[in-house]
Amino acid sequence: MSDIWTQLLGGFVTAGTPINLLWAFVGCALGTAIGVLPGLGPAVTVAMLLPITAQVEPTASMIFFAGIYYGAMYGGSTTSILLNTPGETGTMVTALEGFKMAKNGRAGAALATSAIGSFVAGTIATVLVTLFAPLVATHAVKLGPPEYFMLMLLAFTTVSAVLGKSTLRGMTALFLGLAIGLVGLDQITAQVRYTAGIPEFMDGIEVVLVAVGLFAVGECFYTVLFEGRSEQNLNRLNKVYMTRSEWRRSWPAWLRGTAIGFPFGTIPAGGSEIPTFLSYGVERKLSRHAEEFGTSGAIEGVAGPEAANNAAVTATLVPLLTLGIPTSVTAAILLSALQNYGIQAGPQLFQTSSALVWALIASLYIGNVMLLVLNLPLVGMWVKLLKIPRPPLYAGILIFATVGVYGMRQSAFDLFLMFGVGLLGVLMRRFDFPTAPVIVGMILGPLAEAQMRNALSIGEGRWSVFIERPMSAALFVAVVAVLVLPRLLKRLRA
Amino acid sequence: MSNERSRVLHQSLVGVGALVLGGVLAYGALGISSVAGYAGVGPNFLPWLVAVVMLLCGGWLLFEARSGGYRAMEEPSGAQSADWRAFAWVAAGVLANAALLTTIGFILSCTLCFMLAVRGLRLSEGKAGGGLRQTVIDFVTGFLIAGPAFWLFTKLLAINLPGLTGTGWL
Repeated sequence: MSDIWTQLLGGFVTAGTPINLLWAFVGCALGTAIGVLPGLGPAVTVAMLLPITAQVEPTASMIFFAGIYYGAMYGGSTTSILLNTPGETGTMVTALEGFKMAKNGRAGAALATSAIGSFVAGTIATVLVTLFAPLVATHAVKLGPPEYFMLMLLAFTTVSAVLGKSTLRGMTALFLGLAIGLVGLDQITAQVRYTAGIPEFMDGIEVVLVAVGLFAVGECFYTVLFEGRSEQNLNRLNKVYMTRSEWRRSWPAWLRGTAIGFPFGTIPAGGSEIPTFLSYGVERKLSRHAEEFGTSGAIEGVAGPEAANNAAVTATLVPLLTLGIPTSVTAAILLSALQNYGIQAGPQLFQTSSALVWALIASLYIGNVMLLVLNLPLVGMWVKLLKIPRPPLYAGILIFATVGVYGMRQSAFDLFLMFGVGLLGVLMRRFDFPTAPVIVGMILGPLAEAQMRNALSIGEGRWSVFIERPMSAALFVAVVAVLVLPRLLKRLRA
Repeated sequence: MSNERSRVLHQSLVGVGALVLGGVLAYGALGISSVAGYAGVGPNFLPWLVAVVMLLCGGWLLFEARSGGYRAMEEPSGAQSADWRAFAWVAAGVLANAALLTTIGFILSCTLCFMLAVRGLRLSEGKAGGGLRQTVIDFVTGFLIAGPAFWLFTKLLAINLPGLTGTGWL
């Protein structure tokens, strides 16, 4: 315990240097801005900025990226409440009640409860990360390749089969991602795969390219193709302020939301969609103002899910840092940022890069405070961003997409490929294919393949190695349960 | 063509696309060595797995498309039919950028991309593409985004982006 305390203090010393504070601040501000702007999310923003990993030292850039990730959650709720176009899946629920509140002239209260709720949940969740992550890491050291492979399989299953509406389309997206991940050199034998003689493919396909293509370019293409005539109504912002009764209704919802969100973030259950919906359901059931839900907008319906969202986002750092397993798209891209530095995320991280890890955790405490200040008194400034007309906004995004994709490998070939991936993004959105499995598949795929082959080597080629070890067998049962249980429940209910 | 029939057609085409991709992956997997070592599975194992699952997914998508459409499908947002004319401008912008970036430098190439794309996006909203005045405004706006972006990323963050001149400013 005292050990954690000294290390955290050390983290604060590193994160508190003026230069790192500046990185955190720029990250939080940029994150809030892109969270507010429709059309860009934290994943694609971090992806576009991945080229800086070639120059900026790891601690600074991780603090910067974490600030973006966090800031986008705060900013995203502002847009959901005022514009009803959630940028991130996690803020979808906020849009349900928040937009209704804003329509009835209570935008200020909705914004206040979401910002303060995010702060409360984010801070509690950071405390939990501080306490639990080192603990998980000490146990995770004992996991071998079979367990890692099963954990990754679990992540694949949840992200593709559970999250989307259709298992089939989720699986198709996942295997598309795995196929993209196959291009290049095989990690174990250095065998060349799927390069079709094109030298650019030897090093594989960059994550930046696929993320930017699918999310930024694809979004721009989709907008010009289909959304040109869609009207957008901006709700009026009023004073950001909560009455005494609104405070009383908010704080239990914040705490419940945190309690629901955190555990979901730590397991490979695919990000914040499930906990936010769950929290919304709980608040709706418990509220004494049930009649406000879905009609005039209930403040609990904003407070709970917002807290759940932030707690889940913070908690995704536990599996990311201790196991090297990303449970959301942004976490997957953070993982590839670490890979760019040659840093292996996993239980050893707390020993080998302990300065980095603790500075990152300390920066989360600092970032939360910064974001509260950025989002409560200054919310009016961010809302002005929503007045930027769509054409220059999306055309401008293309410029930054170029920076990210070209800057990564200095290859114009990648820009043509980005165009193709953009078209793929349009297709996937039009036919309701989820995109998260593509990114998770392409980043986690090569790692999972290596773990699987190492595990089979341990088992001397026998597949039973995956069920002979108790931990691995338990994880296998979990994978099967994730696949079978939802179907069974549906059948029982029908 | 009625709405229903075009939907079946489009969804079937997506299924066929997945089948073709699976076929290509399988064809590629033929050329990958199967040397397994201790593991019992070699570098061609995952390619084969991905190829087979992709073929299965493609077949299943095709089946769903032809038997009442994709299941649990959410209606896509936005208009029913695509605005290809507006899209052509944006596509031209992105492709021109890819083709010209290394020749005319980041700033000018991205400014051109911006000008073409913003025009397409305006057209998609049903507004006029704009005359000479608007074109000049677009040029200036694009330049004011691309220029500072170039300077910020090359000077401050030392990312390599191509310039037209060797000065580092254009």
